[in-house]
Amino acid sequence: MNSLSRRHFLKLIGTSTALAATPTWLKAQTAASGRVVIVGGGFAGATAAKYLRHWSGGNVAVTLVDANPAHVSCILSNLALNGSLGLSQITFNYEALKQKYGVTVEAGQAVGAANGQLHLQDGRTLAYDRLILAPGIDFAPVPGLDIRRIPHAWQAGPQTTLLKNQLRDMPPGGVFVLTIPLAPYRCPPGPYERACLVADYLKRNKPGSKVIVLDANPKIMAEEHTFTKAFYQTHAGIIEYHPNVLLNEVDSTNRTAITSQGNFSASVLNVLPPQKAGKIVSDLGLTGGGNWAPVDPLTYESTVAKGIHIIGDSQGTSQPKSGHIANSEAKVCADAILRAFAGELPDPAPTTNSACYSPITAKTASWLTAVFAYDPETRAMKLVPEAFGEAPEATEENYEKMFDWASNLFAETFA
Amino acid sequence: MLPRPNGILTVLSCLTMLAPLSGQALPPAGRLLASQCAQCHGTDGRSVSDIDSLRGESARELYSEMLEMKYDNDPGDIMHSQAKGYTEGQIRLIADYYATLNQGGGGTGGEEEHEEHKEEHDD
Repeated sequence: MNSLSRRHFLKLIGTSTALAATPTWLKAQTAASGRVVIVGGGFAGATAAKYLRHWSGGNVAVTLVDANPAHVSCILSNLALNGSLGLSQITFNYEALKQKYGVTVEAGQAVGAANGQLHLQDGRTLAYDRLILAPGIDFAPVPGLDIRRIPHAWQAGPQTTLLKNQLRDMPPGGVFVLTIPLAPYRCPPGPYERACLVADYLKRNKPGSKVIVLDANPKIMAEEHTFTKAFYQTHAGIIEYHPNVLLNEVDSTNRTAITSQGNFSASVLNVLPPQKAGKIVSDLGLTGGGNWAPVDPLTYESTVAKGIHIIGDSQGTSQPKSGHIANSEAKVCADAILRAFAGELPDPAPTTNSACYSPITAKTASWLTAVFAYDPETRAMKLVPEAFGEAPEATEENYEKMFDWASNLFAETFA
Repeated sequence: MLPRPNGILTVLSCLTMLAPLSGQALPPAGRLLASQCAQCHGTDGRSVSDIDSLRGESARELYSEMLEMKYDNDPGDIMHSQAKGYTEGQIRLIADYYATLNQGGGGTGGEEEHEEHKEEHDD
């Protein structure tokens, strides 16, 4: 806990807005100019805002719209459940984007877009040449589910606190039930990571308790080696894993999951509802009848509507939905928009990547890695098989490196 | 021993040097590719944590370190996997781009910067 890594991590949070020396957008000069409006200030939207300003030398006007004054990171948020971190340590405002990069930030809820105008709920309109939608995920309805009683904590913030408090108030010998929806969902390793951290917490604080994982998928969807070992060795006797379990309904009063394989009653029930593109993306008809928005991975421009780009969890390429790769996609999109403003074609061979650390206990972590490259034949981002892998084992060293990784990713996105 | 197909690399580095000179509108070669390192190594290669900064290293250092990680069979090193995701040509582009930042380039590229790099590659 007192390692150099942790010190850096805490330092970053305190000084992220003070990093600004000379604003980079005052120094560089390029020709292209234009107006971009971005909806959503998470990892995708904030990164796009920053890089459009940074790479255009301040020539492109960027307005970032978000309903909230700050973003609470889902990355590391499972560590708030066991008290290892406070939510304030993973909450990022937009001051650095404003002051250091010259991004205009508007508080508001986007409700529509047409003819180069984004409409906000309060009646205001914002004009754009290009619109980027990065609203993250929305949840499909689950019969009987009341998230005020049965938290998902899959968007970090008050939901995380609710789940944390429920775990704190859980009796010894209790049962924690976690339901996982069919893929794709936000953060492939996230549910398994959560099962591990809750098991680790219960082992130490609520003796005799169990964790029951009800997975709609046929198998563990990420870091299979790591989580198989974690479930059957590290947390053996506590975690019980059931694949192929479909959630039909929730009894929110009695904390019961009603599934294809019977009813599971819980002391604490954590339902991760099935997921789809953020509301504004569906409302604008950009999902083409599916759950996610089809885009051209060279630009992230919608294949349904010209001039509108969708990045992050709402986009419908085969890339996983995570903050790290959302940042990655945002830079491909920003580069393509700047080239378009200059009358140029997009980079024909973009790459994206994922590298993320998952805590397995309060002291150890694993990692996964993936690189995607554009495949001109299929016009899709394709996994580079040699670069896909996971940590040989969960270690304390990885746990410390996790904070180094997160510190840079947070700064790269918000500072 | 690392495989060093020098002929191929020379061709690739020449190609990469031509691109930024062709027009002001195009971003510097390697910028987008290199930006994909920033999630872990910091914006423009400036790390704020114990992870290595890429800025401040020469193109030669960056290139040889990446190749070492790519071909050194160390499954416990996350960079071994990541490095295998890029071709040697892409690694060259990344290394060259970060080296231009050392000379005060803010990511806008320029003729002088790329001329200096040519000398470094040709040896």
